[in-house]
Amino acid sequence: MPQDKSTGNRIFDCINYTLLMLIALICVLPFVYVLAVSFTSPAEVAKGGLILWPKEWSLASYRYIFSTDTLFRSMLVSIYITVLGTFINLLFTSLMAYPLARTHLRGRQGILLAVLFTMLFGGGMIPTYFVVKAMHLTNSLWSLMIPNAISAFNLIVLKNFFQQIPDGLEDSARIDGCNDVGVLFRIVLPLSLPAMATFGLFYAVGHWNQFFNAILYINDSRLYPIQVLLRQIVILSQSSIGDTSIDNTEIQPLTIRMAVIVFATVPILLVYPFLQKHFAKGVMLGSVKG
Amino acid sequence: MKKKTALIISSVMLATVLSACGSNSEQTASTASPGASTQATTEDNTPLDLSIAIHQAGEVPAKGNPMEQAITKYTNTNLSFQWIPTSGYDEKINVMIASGELPKLIKVSYVPTIISAMQSDVFWEIGPYLKEYKNLVAQSQTYYDNIKVDGKLYGIPVYRNIGRAALHYRKDWFDQTQLTVPKTLDEWYNVLKVVADEDPDKNGKKDTYGLMLDKNYNQGVASALTRISVSQGGPNKWKVDNEGNFTPEFMTDEFFNTMKLFKRLYDEQLINQDFAVTDALTIDKAYEAGRVAMRISGGNAQSMQTNLVKVIPTAVIDVASLEGPAGTRVPAESGNAGILAIPKSSVKTEAEVKKILTFLDKLLDKEMVNLINKGVEGKHYKVEGDYTLPLDKDADAKEVKPYRDTLLQRGETYNMDKRMKQTDLFVKNNKVVAENDKYAVANPALTLISVTFTERGSELEQIITDAETKFIMGKIDEAGWSAEVERWKNNGGEQLMEEYKAAYLKK
Repeated sequence: MPQDKSTGNRIFDCINYTLLMLIALICVLPFVYVLAVSFTSPAEVAKGGLILWPKEWSLASYRYIFSTDTLFRSMLVSIYITVLGTFINLLFTSLMAYPLARTHLRGRQGILLAVLFTMLFGGGMIPTYFVVKAMHLTNSLWSLMIPNAISAFNLIVLKNFFQQIPDGLEDSARIDGCNDVGVLFRIVLPLSLPAMATFGLFYAVGHWNQFFNAILYINDSRLYPIQVLLRQIVILSQSSIGDTSIDNTEIQPLTIRMAVIVFATVPILLVYPFLQKHFAKGVMLGSVKG
Repeated sequence: MKKKTALIISSVMLATVLSACGSNSEQTASTASPGASTQATTEDNTPLDLSIAIHQAGEVPAKGNPMEQAITKYTNTNLSFQWIPTSGYDEKINVMIASGELPKLIKVSYVPTIISAMQSDVFWEIGPYLKEYKNLVAQSQTYYDNIKVDGKLYGIPVYRNIGRAALHYRKDWFDQTQLTVPKTLDEWYNVLKVVADEDPDKNGKKDTYGLMLDKNYNQGVASALTRISVSQGGPNKWKVDNEGNFTPEFMTDEFFNTMKLFKRLYDEQLINQDFAVTDALTIDKAYEAGRVAMRISGGNAQSMQTNLVKVIPTAVIDVASLEGPAGTRVPAESGNAGILAIPKSSVKTEAEVKKILTFLDKLLDKEMVNLINKGVEGKHYKVEGDYTLPLDKDADAKEVKPYRDTLLQRGETYNMDKRMKQTDLFVKNNKVVAENDKYAVANPALTLISVTFTERGSELEQIITDAETKFIMGKIDEAGWSAEVERWKNNGGEQLMEEYKAAYLKK
């Protein structure tokens, strides 16, 4: 229908596209900057100015950050808690959301209210720590996966999503001899792949960015996920807690910080495109019906 | 019959459980309570199990690395370090204290939460024992006075120099424009004006500053306003007279004049116009890019020089003490980078407290001083004549620095045989800082406890911090400034002054 367009429409489109492109540019530029700086030589960066393409290529920063296995190890920890943690999240969230979506479950409103309650009131840092400690989860990676296995918000959205699946499907599955578990795993979950992908991504990003809990619950520095390390590197180099009796030349230059940021961000960015096609669908479907 | 077997089984189980528990407690008891007479001689040979929670400085060193082995061997302890990242340190410590899950030695800061923990007897009071430890007692009393709570000492400070502030300046620019290091406020103004106007880097652009400020320019120990005001004869945060009346620095003429200087600099665009929102990182970059002439800092001039020549090969940095019309005067800092405290929940007996203090004391023995400052001989440094030379800077940063930054050490000032060979600039900077100790102006309120400060200190500080910024930027005039000071008084400032006075007179 482009031929139907009036000049006014065309001008509107023009402005619209320019505006959107500008906004897109604003979103992309910081990433380009970080990436470019990480590949530039430190001296070049020190001269200042905005760098969007390295003038002097240098792999020095990456060589530096890979000179020990610390980064790799925490990367592995992060991948481990992200993959296993997300699996646990999805499993438990759907195991709880599905029964709550079935109208014939008795006491369902009460349970839902209890879930809502946790969204509004939390115990706070120290009581939560006591619970984690009492469960003997401290100083183990389970402390990063079990306490937050179900997010109340995601649970409610997923419950609404499950409610949209017609009861008839469930009935016919039962007639064919399916029990409750069968219905969930063979009928409902396969139909909910978009939702699963969406929440999977939500949870995965949450696990990947896991930082504060790791500091609180984990004592062994070998179990720290990548974000703790990232924070440490960025914060340490920001604060000038310099001591005069020590030559502080080993303060991390900007390029190294950027290289670590790239290293910590790229994996989760790589996952995104594969889930993106489900993404829009999943969020919309769950949120339509209240 | 069935009942009987059940009884036997359960009693056997009970016995095993009990014995399992028993063996544990016996072990701990054997190190703690045994009659001093029989075990006193053999006890010295059993290594002390010592867990330490401490800031993570840089990377976490591997368990059982050469440094740790050497410390373990020399001090006869089984060390286990728990390195906690800086970014969540205070929260983690609070959680550990709340849950009673504490190691035997823990690094804390002198902040309200910890002070109240000290008051409620979470940590051992070690003041009375101190005199038994030759190295610990040899350190200046100021270090200990600065961390006392109600006159009691609850830990060993991780010593830091007291007067760290020094002036770093671009000597090449100063020579070229025939400037001298400023002493009076007029000279400061003059220097800043010349540097901003005369384009010392000769790039044809008016892009140089004499001094740059970041948004924390008036906060904490590194406050530029306080440092300059003190050099002009002002007090360090608080002024106290003979009757014990406390006056905050911002009500003194010296401070107000310093503020007026900055207002003038701002009006004439001689300092960065966006200082109220600029973060420290941006300023660092400007300094490293060689666009600024002077910096008042607690760092070492050598670091600045090293960074700067990467960009401007001709740059020359020099260091001078912060002088005013009446000679050098610098604000005294707290003199520590944390306090090593011994929690009561994990260390039960006085004997064990003494053992831990012995460990800390040994860290200041010659062997340990060398180790903690320089690392392992042959690996991190070598001896050459009267000096030692660093061998591997990378290994030093990764393996030695974590211990040097967190354990006790006094650098060259205590028990070090041979100085590390360093550049002249580095040595000069150290000398300035060491000299500073003599001219350090103490903050009289440092160890005074005030309820108002604990509860509303940051809120009160914010009022003044904002007012200072507004004044410098010309958003309020002198009348407006007085009004803000009044507001500070009415919101609890008055009370704060009274509480400090009461605490001071009680001392």
